[in-house]
Amino acid sequence: MNSIDEIIEIYKRDVDVTLLDECLKRTVEERLQVLQDFGEAIDELRAQTVRARDKSS
Amino acid sequence: MTNLRDLLRALGSADVDFILVGGVAAAAHGSGRLTQDVDIVYRRGADNIEKLVAGLESFRPYLRGAPPGLPFRFDAATISAGLNFTLTTDIGPIDLLGEIAGGGRYEDLSNHSICAEAFGVQCRVLDLETLIATKRAAGRPKDFEGIAELELLRDRHKPGVQ
Repeated sequence: MNSIDEIIEIYKRDVDVTLLDECLKRTVEERLQVLQDFGEAIDELRAQTVRARDKSS
Repeated sequence: MTNLRDLLRALGSADVDFILVGGVAAAAHGSGRLTQDVDIVYRRGADNIEKLVAGLESFRPYLRGAPPGLPFRFDAATISAGLNFTLTTDIGPIDLLGEIAGGGRYEDLSNHSICAEAFGVQCRVLDLETLIATKRAAGRPKDFEGIAELELLRDRHKPGVQ
């Protein structure tokens, strides 16, 4: 086993596989829709955070 | 973050040959990790480059990180003269890749991709095994955690998913 393999194996210990299993219940199309929706939500949250920060300063 | 829906619809409408790779491909395979941009491998044929340009030019692509005002033209001549382009666009960052480490070009990868429909568009997504191989080939420490997740997904792979 080389060092990269060892590092990757260590990372595997901390992966929440219950989240992976939830994701695998969806189709590919549904997973990409979730990614799109989540991205839009994050963008909106960022914009609102900036507005709130500007308002409070 | 990139508007994936608008990008895929634009590429689909223009009938571009491309493969989703990178973080979006990982998400398609079940990764829960967020990605900031969309990486695609496009076919390097003159006809396809014309379609690629036609599909994306309305998003005003420009070299990401470059100072404004450079004489960059997003046209077929520019894409033909280069290979990989990291772009900023009106719909977010997009990486147009003529070739990727550990995977090669569109022609090398198309047999290692799956067909999926998203946002009403039929598109190709790099298969899980090849996605892992390309990330391993890149050898970037920032990818190690993602590789771990992808390998666990591979181990939990269900028939019919890939």
